[in-house]
Amino acid sequence: MTKSLNLTKTFMEQKQKDERALRSIRLLDKLRKRPVLGFAVFALILVVVKLMADAGAVNAGLINAIGSTIIYCIVGLGFCLLLGYSALASLGTAGFIAIGCYSTYYCIAEWGLTIGVSLLMSVGLAIVIGIAVGYISLRIEGIYLAIVTLGVAQIIKEALSAIMDTIKINKYKLTFMNIDGLLIDPDAMFYILVAVLFILMLLTSNLMNSPTGRAMLAMKNSTSAAQAFGISLMKYRLMAFVLSTIYAAIAGMLFMLYVGYVSNSSSTLFSLSTSLNILGAVIIGGTKSIWGTLGGTFIIYGINSMFLQDIAFFRDNPTLITIVCGLLVVLVVMFFPGGLVQLVWTLILKIKGLFKKWRVRRYGLEE
Amino acid sequence: MFSALIQNLIGVLPSMCAGILATFAVTLIFKTSYTTNFAQGVISALGAYVAVDLAMTHGLPLWGVSVIGVVVAFVVGVLIDVCIFRRGRNVNTLGKQIISMGLISLIIGIIPFLFTIAKAEAMPVQPIIPLTEGFKMGEVNVPYNTLLGVGITVVLMVVLFVALQKSKWGLAVRATASNETVAGMMGVNTKIITALSWGIAGALGAVAAIIYVGNVSLSSGYVMTSTQINAFLAGILGGFATFYGPVLGAVIIYLLNWIVGYICSLEGVGLTTWKSAIVYVIVMILVLIKPQGLFGKKMVKKV
Repeated sequence: MTKSLNLTKTFMEQKQKDERALRSIRLLDKLRKRPVLGFAVFALILVVVKLMADAGAVNAGLINAIGSTIIYCIVGLGFCLLLGYSALASLGTAGFIAIGCYSTYYCIAEWGLTIGVSLLMSVGLAIVIGIAVGYISLRIEGIYLAIVTLGVAQIIKEALSAIMDTIKINKYKLTFMNIDGLLIDPDAMFYILVAVLFILMLLTSNLMNSPTGRAMLAMKNSTSAAQAFGISLMKYRLMAFVLSTIYAAIAGMLFMLYVGYVSNSSSTLFSLSTSLNILGAVIIGGTKSIWGTLGGTFIIYGINSMFLQDIAFFRDNPTLITIVCGLLVVLVVMFFPGGLVQLVWTLILKIKGLFKKWRVRRYGLEE
Repeated sequence: MFSALIQNLIGVLPSMCAGILATFAVTLIFKTSYTTNFAQGVISALGAYVAVDLAMTHGLPLWGVSVIGVVVAFVVGVLIDVCIFRRGRNVNTLGKQIISMGLISLIIGIIPFLFTIAKAEAMPVQPIIPLTEGFKMGEVNVPYNTLLGVGITVVLMVVLFVALQKSKWGLAVRATASNETVAGMMGVNTKIITALSWGIAGALGAVAAIIYVGNVSLSSGYVMTSTQINAFLAGILGGFATFYGPVLGAVIIYLLNWIVGYICSLEGVGLTTWKSAIVYVIVMILVLIKPQGLFGKKMVKKV
């Protein structure tokens, strides 16, 4: 009698334990519904890593790599809105990063304005150019946007390199600057980067779940059906494109503030390959997901700058990562359009299914 | 002053030839596969790399390596269609565009592994057609190099346009361009036509790259980017609806380049930096006035 009671007791305990395990999986669902928790945890982890680096537990080079990856993540978030939510591709990303970068330099170093004004300047410039370019190309057809932005990026790059030739290059340096009474050094800048990333992630996620995001998604799936619902193609396409240019300009500005200088060698940042890598990052990660974009950026930029640079083979063949990026883009578009995020969700669903099956086998069907 | 203008025109001619060939290639692919092939520039650069690499490392005659480079670009074009675009039939237009962008990264990454000349930082590259000397026409110096490029381009364009109008291949291409499914039902082997278009586009690109590289130098895989941008712009300006529209668009864009470049370089103007920006803005204004292109007609899309 006591023995069977004991058995029931252990059985109940076991069941409770399993329930707890299931709850941890359900937590992922909750995160999906309330994304702000996940973003906050992510930002906290980054801050903790930085604090560990200050304490000497983590290599300081890692922090630099994380910083630049965060900047690319911000560009990626804008691109995610453009590509995943309105099915447009742009090749002008690098050009808009350059606009943010140089207008910040001019505002702060040449004209001595504050950082708030320079933010307004960069974003305003990006909006004006974005609207002009977007209006002309999107009036014809969606696929023309990539062509026209490719040209714009090339012109911006040519003009900037010409300006850089006329003014001496080493002038393009902001070592320490006094921003609204705050002395900002690279250490503090890292926290600003994390904060900006957090805010933009939140904004993007809210936008994706708002009527605007739904309208963009409808437009992506069928332009004709969306028009039938009264969605103005031009308005939402232009909105998505201008948003992506704003993100790129903000990223360019942060780059200028974080790295502190642009030189001729860093002008590769403004070349076509950057636009292609951002595109690759968003595609590989999963076009419609914020976490996917972060993951994709980590694969394209993070892994390379954080770990592979220590291996001589990868340092000697810098184009290897380009090959991997190109190959992954082609393969993902052809065979696995959801990208990395879809892979993860499929795995989670599968594990959930297995767990359910196992529970049924063990305890029988629930009533 | 007049002779300076003409001299400028002769300076523009090689890139104009390259631009015209690249435009035709882009149009051919746009019509048969309905995608903008962004990898066109790097495929042609690959052809040029093959030619220059063979010429510099093995000392083969230049016409020989040029032919090899063109053949390689043809094969690469066909392979891309057969291996990727034919399998990706269910991929939408944006997907195809993105695949072609992925191909840029792929080919740009592969080039330094294949060619030793691409690894060296600043390797001086000889022009592929080494006819730097020319003859004098009044005060204007005409290099044989440029004449050869113009000759090749004119011959190729005439042959291609006559073939498009008169030959069976041309009929098949036009049928595929107007409606792939119906063309297939009428007995056109659309798979072969599409693959051939990719091959021809690659080959034309390689010819363009070899003409172009003869005047600038082969600095990186991105060497053809500006030509490609002009080719796409020409497509928009002329309108992708016809075959001749984009080619005429290319001519207009390069003539604009010539005139604007001349005016900008005049003393007292000093706008040389903004030359391409001005040309670009002019083209954009033209497109704003005529969204379907100068020679285009409205393409009606059925739901």
